[in-house]
Amino acid sequence: MSGNFAPGDTVKVISTHPPGHRRTPYYIRGKTGEIERVCGDFANPEELAYGFDGLPKKTLYRVRFKQSHVWDDYAGPETDTVDVDIYEHWLLPA
Amino acid sequence: MAEERGTHDHDHDHDLTFQPNIEDGEPGRYELMTYAIRELLMEKGHLTPEELRAAQEKVESLQKSDGAMIIAKAWTDPDFKQRLLDDGNAALAEVGVDAGAAKMTVVENTDDVQNVVVCTLCSCYPRAVLGMPPDWYRSKSYRSRVVIEPRKVLSEFGTDVPDDMTVRVHDSLADLRYLVIPRRPEGTEGWSEEQLAAIVTRDTMVGVANPTAS
Amino acid sequence: MADTDDPRRGYHDIGGKDYGPIDPEVTEMKPWERQSTAISNALGAAGRHLYVTDESRRAREQMGEPLYNDLDYYERSTESMKMILVEKGLFSDEELEERMSKIAQRMAEARG
Repeated sequence: MSGNFAPGDTVKVISTHPPGHRRTPYYIRGKTGEIERVCGDFANPEELAYGFDGLPKKTLYRVRFKQSHVWDDYAGPETDTVDVDIYEHWLLPA
Repeated sequence: MAEERGTHDHDHDHDLTFQPNIEDGEPGRYELMTYAIRELLMEKGHLTPEELRAAQEKVESLQKSDGAMIIAKAWTDPDFKQRLLDDGNAALAEVGVDAGAAKMTVVENTDDVQNVVVCTLCSCYPRAVLGMPPDWYRSKSYRSRVVIEPRKVLSEFGTDVPDDMTVRVHDSLADLRYLVIPRRPEGTEGWSEEQLAAIVTRDTMVGVANPTAS
Repeated sequence: MADTDDPRRGYHDIGGKDYGPIDPEVTEMKPWERQSTAISNALGAAGRHLYVTDESRRAREQMGEPLYNDLDYYERSTESMKMILVEKGLFSDEELEERMSKIAQRMAEARG
Protein backbone atom coordinates (compact mmCIF):
# COMPACT_ATOMS: atom_id res chain seq x y z
CA MET A 1 0.00 0.00 0.00
CA SER A 2 1.12 3.50 -0.69
CA GLY A 3 0.08 6.14 1.77
CA ASN A 4 1.94 8.53 3.96
CA PHE A 5 0.39 7.70 7.30
CA ALA A 6 0.65 4.72 9.61
CA PRO A 7 -1.57 3.52 12.44
CA GLY A 8 -1.06 5.70 15.50
CA ASP A 9 -0.13 8.83 13.53
CA THR A 10 -1.90 12.02 14.54
CA VAL A 11 -3.61 13.72 11.62
CA LYS A 12 -5.67 16.83 11.02
CA VAL A 13 -8.53 16.91 8.54
CA ILE A 14 -8.21 19.78 6.09
CA SER A 15 -10.68 22.53 6.87
CA THR A 16 -11.93 23.63 3.49
CA HIS A 17 -15.29 23.61 1.75
CA PRO A 18 -14.76 23.26 -1.98
CA PRO A 19 -17.80 22.69 -4.21
CA GLY A 20 -18.28 19.28 -5.76
CA HIS A 21 -18.89 15.79 -4.48
CA ARG A 22 -16.92 15.28 -1.26
CA ARG A 23 -16.89 12.31 1.07
CA THR A 24 -15.48 14.07 4.11
CA PRO A 25 -18.35 15.19 6.30
CA TYR A 26 -18.64 18.78 7.44
CA TYR A 27 -18.52 17.97 11.14
CA ILE A 28 -15.08 16.38 10.94
CA ARG A 29 -13.30 19.01 8.83
CA GLY A 30 -10.59 20.76 10.82
CA LYS A 31 -10.60 18.08 13.55
CA THR A 32 -7.60 16.13 14.79
CA GLY A 33 -7.61 12.38 15.18
CA GLU A 34 -5.46 9.28 15.07
CA ILE A 35 -4.99 6.83 12.20
CA GLU A 36 -6.70 3.62 13.36
CA ARG A 37 -5.90 1.62 10.26
CA VAL A 38 -4.87 1.87 6.64
CA CYS A 39 -7.76 0.51 4.59
CA GLY A 40 -6.11 0.25 1.18
CA ASP A 41 -6.15 2.16 -2.08
CA PHE A 42 -9.43 3.01 -3.77
CA ALA A 43 -10.51 4.90 -6.87
CA ASN A 44 -11.19 8.49 -5.89
CA PRO A 45 -14.95 8.92 -5.36
CA GLU A 46 -14.68 12.66 -5.93
CA GLU A 47 -13.77 11.84 -9.55
CA LEU A 48 -15.95 8.74 -9.99
CA ALA A 49 -18.91 10.96 -9.11
CA TYR A 50 -18.44 12.82 -12.39
CA GLY A 51 -17.95 9.81 -14.62
CA PHE A 52 -14.14 9.72 -14.54
CA ASP A 53 -12.09 6.67 -13.62
CA GLY A 54 -10.92 7.95 -10.26
CA LEU A 55 -7.29 7.12 -11.00
CA PRO A 56 -4.75 7.31 -9.54
CA LYS A 57 -6.23 5.60 -6.53
CA LYS A 58 -6.18 7.29 -3.17
CA THR A 59 -5.26 5.67 0.11
CA LEU A 60 -8.19 5.42 2.48
CA TYR A 61 -7.76 5.57 6.25
CA ARG A 62 -9.96 4.93 9.19
CA VAL A 63 -9.35 7.86 11.51
CA ARG A 64 -10.44 7.76 15.16
CA PHE A 65 -11.58 10.98 16.85
CA LYS A 66 -12.51 11.60 20.46
CA GLN A 67 -16.14 12.62 20.60
CA SER A 68 -15.37 15.23 23.27
CA HIS A 69 -13.03 16.88 20.73
CA VAL A 70 -15.46 16.71 17.81
CA TRP A 71 -18.48 18.13 19.67
CA ASP A 72 -18.25 20.96 22.20
CA ASP A 73 -21.08 19.71 24.37
CA TYR A 74 -20.64 15.97 23.95
CA ALA A 75 -22.68 14.18 26.60
CA GLY A 76 -20.71 11.02 27.31
CA PRO A 77 -17.45 9.70 28.69
CA GLU A 78 -14.06 10.89 27.41
CA THR A 79 -13.42 7.43 25.99
CA ASP A 80 -16.21 7.61 23.39
CA THR A 81 -14.98 7.85 19.81
CA VAL A 82 -16.13 8.27 16.25
CA ASP A 83 -14.27 6.49 13.45
CA VAL A 84 -14.51 8.16 10.04
CA ASP A 85 -13.33 6.87 6.64
CA ILE A 86 -11.12 9.59 5.17
CA TYR A 87 -9.04 9.71 1.99
CA GLU A 88 -5.42 10.72 2.16
CA HIS A 89 -5.82 14.02 0.32
CA TRP A 90 -8.05 15.28 3.13
CA LEU A 91 -5.40 14.63 5.81
CA LEU A 92 -2.39 16.56 7.05
CA PRO A 93 0.22 15.47 9.58
CA ALA A 94 -0.50 17.00 12.98
CA MET B 1 -34.75 -9.47 -28.60
CA ALA B 2 -31.42 -7.84 -29.40
CA GLU B 3 -32.14 -7.34 -33.10
CA GLU B 4 -35.30 -5.45 -32.21
CA ARG B 5 -33.45 -2.85 -30.21
CA GLY B 6 -33.99 0.71 -31.34
CA THR B 7 -37.26 -0.07 -33.10
CA HIS B 8 -40.55 1.42 -32.07
CA ASP B 9 -42.83 -1.48 -32.66
CA HIS B 10 -45.93 -1.05 -30.53
CA ASP B 11 -46.31 -4.69 -29.52
CA HIS B 12 -42.70 -4.67 -28.58
CA ASP B 13 -43.36 -1.81 -26.16
CA HIS B 14 -45.96 -3.91 -24.50
CA ASP B 15 -43.53 -6.79 -24.18
CA LEU B 16 -41.20 -4.58 -22.24
CA THR B 17 -43.76 -3.09 -19.95
CA PHE B 18 -43.60 -4.30 -16.43
CA GLN B 19 -47.10 -5.32 -15.48
CA PRO B 20 -47.84 -3.93 -12.03
CA ASN B 21 -50.66 -5.04 -9.85
CA ILE B 22 -53.60 -3.08 -11.24
CA GLU B 23 -55.30 -3.26 -7.85
CA ASP B 24 -52.73 -0.79 -6.57
CA GLY B 25 -54.52 2.18 -8.14
CA GLU B 26 -52.83 5.08 -9.87
CA PRO B 27 -49.07 4.83 -10.06
CA GLY B 28 -46.98 7.64 -8.61
CA ARG B 29 -44.55 9.78 -10.59
CA TYR B 30 -41.50 7.73 -9.69
CA GLU B 31 -43.18 4.43 -10.34
CA LEU B 32 -44.00 5.66 -13.86
CA MET B 33 -40.48 7.02 -14.22
CA THR B 34 -39.04 3.63 -13.32
CA TYR B 35 -41.06 1.85 -16.02
CA ALA B 36 -40.26 4.57 -18.57
CA ILE B 37 -36.52 4.39 -17.85
CA ARG B 38 -36.68 0.64 -18.21
CA GLU B 39 -38.44 0.80 -21.56
CA LEU B 40 -36.18 3.48 -22.99
CA LEU B 41 -32.99 1.75 -21.88
CA MET B 42 -34.11 -1.54 -23.40
CA GLU B 43 -35.24 -0.01 -26.68
CA LYS B 44 -31.97 1.84 -27.04
CA GLY B 45 -29.94 -1.25 -26.25
CA HIS B 46 -28.46 -0.12 -22.95
CA LEU B 47 -30.10 -2.85 -20.93
CA THR B 48 -31.02 -6.39 -21.89
CA PRO B 49 -33.82 -8.41 -20.32
CA GLU B 50 -31.18 -10.89 -19.14
CA GLU B 51 -29.22 -8.21 -17.33
CA LEU B 52 -32.34 -6.85 -15.71
CA ARG B 53 -33.56 -10.29 -14.70
CA ALA B 54 -30.26 -11.10 -13.03
CA ALA B 55 -30.27 -7.77 -11.20
CA GLN B 56 -33.87 -8.27 -10.14
CA GLU B 57 -33.04 -11.68 -8.74
CA LYS B 58 -30.19 -10.14 -6.78
CA VAL B 59 -32.49 -7.48 -5.32
CA GLU B 60 -34.94 -10.20 -4.30
CA SER B 61 -32.13 -12.07 -2.58
CA LEU B 62 -31.35 -8.91 -0.61
CA GLN B 63 -34.76 -9.05 1.04
CA LYS B 64 -33.27 -11.54 3.47
CA SER B 65 -30.00 -11.60 5.31
CA ASP B 66 -27.19 -14.07 5.94
CA GLY B 67 -25.98 -11.99 8.86
CA ALA B 68 -27.35 -14.04 11.75
CA MET B 69 -25.81 -17.25 10.44
CA ILE B 70 -22.45 -15.52 10.08
CA ILE B 71 -22.54 -14.16 13.62
CA ALA B 72 -23.56 -17.55 15.05
CA LYS B 73 -20.59 -19.10 13.28
CA ALA B 74 -18.29 -16.37 14.61
CA TRP B 75 -19.54 -17.01 18.15
CA THR B 76 -18.89 -20.74 17.96
CA ASP B 77 -15.71 -20.71 15.87
CA PRO B 78 -13.06 -18.33 17.28
CA ASP B 79 -10.77 -18.86 14.28
CA PHE B 80 -13.54 -17.82 11.90
CA LYS B 81 -14.24 -14.78 14.04
CA GLN B 82 -10.60 -13.78 13.88
CA ARG B 83 -10.58 -14.18 10.11
CA LEU B 84 -13.69 -11.97 9.90
CA LEU B 85 -11.96 -9.28 11.94
CA ASP B 86 -8.75 -9.58 9.91
CA ASP B 87 -10.23 -9.70 6.40
CA GLY B 88 -14.01 -9.49 6.23
CA ASN B 89 -14.31 -10.12 2.49
CA ALA B 90 -12.20 -13.30 2.55
CA ALA B 91 -13.98 -14.72 5.61
CA LEU B 92 -17.40 -13.99 4.12
CA ALA B 93 -16.37 -15.68 0.88
CA GLU B 94 -15.71 -18.85 2.92
CA VAL B 95 -19.41 -18.97 3.77
CA GLY B 96 -20.53 -18.09 0.26
CA VAL B 97 -21.19 -14.37 0.76
CA ASP B 98 -19.79 -12.07 -1.93
CA ALA B 99 -19.32 -8.66 -0.34
CA GLY B 100 -18.43 -7.12 -3.69
CA ALA B 101 -16.03 -4.24 -4.15
CA ALA B 102 -16.67 -2.74 -0.73
CA LYS B 103 -14.20 -3.57 2.02
CA MET B 104 -16.10 -5.36 4.75
CA THR B 105 -14.89 -4.08 8.06
CA VAL B 106 -16.00 -6.25 10.95
CA VAL B 107 -15.92 -4.83 14.47
CA GLU B 108 -16.64 -6.65 17.69
CA ASN B 109 -18.72 -5.60 20.67
CA THR B 110 -16.92 -6.55 23.87
CA ASP B 111 -17.50 -6.01 27.58
CA ASP B 112 -15.81 -2.63 27.14
CA VAL B 113 -16.96 -1.44 23.71
CA GLN B 114 -20.29 -0.94 21.98
CA ASN B 115 -19.96 -0.26 18.23
CA VAL B 116 -22.69 1.45 16.24
CA VAL B 117 -22.74 2.12 12.50
CA VAL B 118 -24.14 5.03 10.50
CA CYS B 119 -23.60 6.83 7.21
CA THR B 120 -24.13 10.54 7.81
CA LEU B 121 -23.82 11.51 4.12
CA CYS B 122 -26.14 8.98 2.49
CA SER B 123 -26.99 5.46 3.65
CA CYS B 124 -23.99 3.20 3.05
CA TYR B 125 -24.95 -0.19 4.46
CA PRO B 126 -23.52 -3.74 4.20
CA ARG B 127 -26.26 -4.92 1.85
CA ALA B 128 -24.39 -8.04 0.81
CA VAL B 129 -24.62 -9.30 4.38
CA LEU B 130 -27.62 -7.54 5.92
CA GLY B 131 -29.83 -6.96 2.88
CA MET B 132 -31.50 -3.63 2.22
CA PRO B 133 -31.20 -1.03 4.98
CA PRO B 134 -34.26 -0.46 7.19
CA ASP B 135 -36.15 2.83 6.93
CA TRP B 136 -34.76 4.22 10.16
CA TYR B 137 -31.15 3.66 9.06
CA ARG B 138 -31.83 5.82 5.99
CA SER B 139 -33.71 8.48 7.96
CA LYS B 140 -32.33 11.95 8.51
CA SER B 141 -33.12 11.57 12.21
CA TYR B 142 -30.79 8.61 12.66
CA ARG B 143 -28.11 9.91 10.27
CA SER B 144 -27.95 13.32 11.92
CA ARG B 145 -28.18 12.33 15.56
CA VAL B 146 -26.39 9.06 16.20
CA VAL B 147 -23.00 10.60 15.52
CA ILE B 148 -23.40 13.40 18.09
CA GLU B 149 -25.55 11.75 20.75
CA PRO B 150 -25.10 8.02 20.27
CA ARG B 151 -25.97 7.12 23.84
CA LYS B 152 -29.30 8.92 23.64
CA VAL B 153 -30.12 7.34 20.29
CA LEU B 154 -29.16 3.90 21.57
CA SER B 155 -31.38 4.37 24.62
CA GLU B 156 -34.25 5.22 22.28
CA PHE B 157 -33.66 1.80 20.73
CA GLY B 158 -33.84 0.34 24.24
CA THR B 159 -30.08 -0.05 24.58
CA ASP B 160 -28.56 1.62 27.62
CA VAL B 161 -24.78 1.68 27.60
CA PRO B 162 -23.09 2.21 30.99
CA ASP B 163 -20.55 5.04 31.27
CA ASP B 164 -17.68 2.64 31.91
CA MET B 165 -18.13 1.27 28.39
CA THR B 166 -16.85 3.04 25.28
CA VAL B 167 -19.33 3.87 22.54
CA ARG B 168 -17.61 3.77 19.19
CA VAL B 169 -19.55 5.28 16.29
CA HIS B 170 -18.48 4.31 12.77
CA ASP B 171 -19.35 6.81 10.05
CA SER B 172 -19.36 4.58 6.99
CA LEU B 173 -18.86 6.96 4.09
CA ALA B 174 -16.69 5.58 1.43
CA ASP B 175 -15.50 2.17 0.40
CA LEU B 176 -15.88 0.45 3.76
CA ARG B 177 -18.96 -1.39 4.94
CA TYR B 178 -19.32 -2.24 8.60
CA LEU B 179 -20.65 -5.33 10.32
CA VAL B 180 -20.89 -5.49 14.10
CA ILE B 181 -20.34 -8.80 15.90
CA PRO B 182 -22.65 -8.46 18.91
CA ARG B 183 -21.66 -9.69 22.37
CA ARG B 184 -22.72 -13.29 22.84
CA PRO B 185 -25.17 -13.18 25.74
CA GLU B 186 -24.69 -15.17 28.92
CA GLY B 187 -26.84 -18.25 29.19
CA THR B 188 -26.19 -19.38 25.62
CA GLU B 189 -23.39 -21.81 26.45
CA GLY B 190 -23.75 -25.02 24.49
CA TRP B 191 -26.33 -23.60 22.08
CA SER B 192 -26.24 -24.76 18.47
CA GLU B 193 -25.48 -22.36 15.65
CA GLU B 194 -29.16 -22.46 14.68
CA GLN B 195 -30.27 -21.53 18.19
CA LEU B 196 -27.73 -18.72 18.30
CA ALA B 197 -28.66 -17.39 14.87
CA ALA B 198 -32.26 -17.08 16.04
CA ILE B 199 -31.36 -14.39 18.60
CA VAL B 200 -29.18 -12.33 16.26
CA THR B 201 -31.29 -9.59 14.71
CA ARG B 202 -30.41 -7.03 12.08
CA ASP B 203 -30.37 -4.24 14.66
CA THR B 204 -27.77 -6.09 16.75
CA MET B 205 -25.46 -6.22 13.71
CA VAL B 206 -25.80 -2.46 13.16
CA GLY B 207 -25.08 -2.00 16.85
CA VAL B 208 -28.24 -0.26 18.04
CA ALA B 209 -29.36 -3.33 20.01
CA ASN B 210 -27.83 -6.28 21.83
CA PRO B 211 -29.01 -9.88 21.68
CA THR B 212 -30.40 -11.58 24.76
CA ALA B 213 -30.69 -15.26 25.62
CA SER B 214 -34.43 -15.12 26.17
CA MET C 1 -21.57 21.87 17.99
CA ALA C 2 -20.99 22.30 14.27
CA ASP C 3 -22.41 25.40 12.68
CA THR C 4 -25.67 24.23 11.22
CA ASP C 5 -26.19 27.41 9.20
CA ASP C 6 -22.95 27.42 7.20
CA PRO C 7 -23.98 27.92 3.56
CA ARG C 8 -20.94 25.94 2.43
CA ARG C 9 -22.39 22.84 3.99
CA GLY C 10 -24.26 20.44 1.70
CA TYR C 11 -27.91 19.74 2.58
CA HIS C 12 -27.15 16.01 2.58
CA ASP C 13 -24.25 16.45 5.02
CA ILE C 14 -26.24 16.27 8.23
CA GLY C 15 -24.04 14.59 10.87
CA GLY C 16 -24.50 16.45 14.16
CA LYS C 17 -27.80 18.13 13.29
CA ASP C 18 -31.05 17.22 14.99
CA TYR C 19 -33.84 15.85 12.84
CA GLY C 20 -35.88 14.68 15.79
CA PRO C 21 -37.17 11.31 16.97
CA ILE C 22 -36.39 8.17 14.97
CA ASP C 23 -39.38 6.30 13.60
CA PRO C 24 -38.58 2.61 14.13
CA GLU C 25 -41.18 1.32 11.68
CA VAL C 26 -39.75 -0.77 8.86
CA THR C 27 -41.55 -1.06 5.52
CA GLU C 28 -41.22 -3.63 2.76
CA MET C 29 -39.86 -2.60 -0.63
CA LYS C 30 -42.61 -2.04 -3.18
CA PRO C 31 -42.35 -3.85 -6.54
CA TRP C 32 -41.44 -0.67 -8.45
CA GLU C 33 -38.79 0.16 -5.85
CA ARG C 34 -37.21 -3.24 -6.41
CA GLN C 35 -37.42 -2.69 -10.15
CA SER C 36 -35.76 0.72 -9.90
CA THR C 37 -33.02 -0.69 -7.69
CA ALA C 38 -32.48 -3.57 -10.10
CA ILE C 39 -32.15 -1.25 -13.12
CA SER C 40 -29.69 0.91 -11.26
CA ASN C 41 -27.65 -2.11 -10.14
CA ALA C 42 -27.66 -3.59 -13.65
CA LEU C 43 -26.29 -0.34 -15.10
CA GLY C 44 -23.60 -0.23 -12.45
CA ALA C 45 -22.58 -3.87 -12.83
CA ALA C 46 -18.90 -4.64 -13.25
CA GLY C 47 -17.70 -3.69 -16.71
CA ARG C 48 -20.76 -1.56 -17.47
CA HIS C 49 -20.08 1.60 -15.47
CA LEU C 50 -23.06 3.32 -17.08
CA TYR C 51 -24.15 4.52 -13.69
CA VAL C 52 -22.00 4.16 -10.61
CA THR C 53 -22.75 4.68 -6.92
CA ASP C 54 -20.68 7.83 -6.69
CA GLU C 55 -22.63 9.41 -9.54
CA SER C 56 -25.89 8.57 -7.83
CA ARG C 57 -24.67 10.22 -4.63
CA ARG C 58 -23.56 13.30 -6.53
CA ALA C 59 -26.97 13.54 -8.24
CA ARG C 60 -28.68 13.50 -4.82
CA GLU C 61 -26.50 16.40 -3.78
CA GLN C 62 -27.33 18.25 -6.99
CA MET C 63 -31.11 17.79 -7.21
CA GLY C 64 -31.71 20.70 -4.82
CA GLU C 65 -32.76 20.70 -1.22
CA PRO C 66 -36.54 20.95 -1.76
CA LEU C 67 -36.62 17.85 -3.93
CA TYR C 68 -34.15 16.01 -1.68
CA ASN C 69 -36.38 16.67 1.32
CA ASP C 70 -39.67 15.92 -0.44
CA LEU C 71 -38.73 12.60 -1.97
CA ASP C 72 -38.47 9.37 -0.05
CA TYR C 73 -35.46 7.09 -0.39
CA TYR C 74 -36.40 5.17 -3.53
CA GLU C 75 -37.91 8.23 -5.20
CA ARG C 76 -34.62 9.99 -4.61
CA SER C 77 -32.62 7.13 -6.06
CA THR C 78 -34.87 7.01 -9.14
CA GLU C 79 -34.56 10.77 -9.63
CA SER C 80 -30.77 10.47 -9.30
CA MET C 81 -30.62 7.70 -11.89
CA LYS C 82 -32.72 9.77 -14.28
CA MET C 83 -30.49 12.84 -13.80
CA ILE C 84 -27.31 10.92 -14.62
CA LEU C 85 -28.78 9.06 -17.61
CA VAL C 86 -30.08 12.34 -19.06
CA GLU C 87 -26.71 13.94 -18.38
CA LYS C 88 -25.06 11.11 -20.34
CA GLY C 89 -27.48 11.58 -23.21
CA LEU C 90 -29.09 8.14 -23.01
CA PHE C 91 -32.45 9.85 -23.29
CA SER C 92 -33.82 13.35 -22.82
CA ASP C 93 -36.15 14.69 -20.14
CA GLU C 94 -38.79 15.30 -22.82
CA GLU C 95 -38.51 11.76 -24.12
CA LEU C 96 -38.89 10.40 -20.63
CA GLU C 97 -41.90 12.55 -19.72
CA GLU C 98 -43.60 11.57 -22.95
CA ARG C 99 -43.01 7.89 -22.24
CA MET C 100 -44.29 8.29 -18.69
CA SER C 101 -47.55 9.73 -20.00
CA LYS C 102 -47.93 6.85 -22.43
CA ILE C 103 -47.35 4.30 -19.69
CA ALA C 104 -49.81 6.08 -17.38
CA GLN C 105 -52.36 5.87 -20.18
CA ARG C 106 -51.71 2.17 -20.75
CA MET C 107 -52.00 1.45 -17.06
CA ALA C 108 -55.25 3.42 -16.80
CA GLU C 109 -56.65 1.41 -19.72
CA ALA C 110 -55.59 -1.82 -18.04
CA ARG C 111 -57.39 -0.77 -14.87
CA GLY C 112 -60.48 -0.17 -17.05
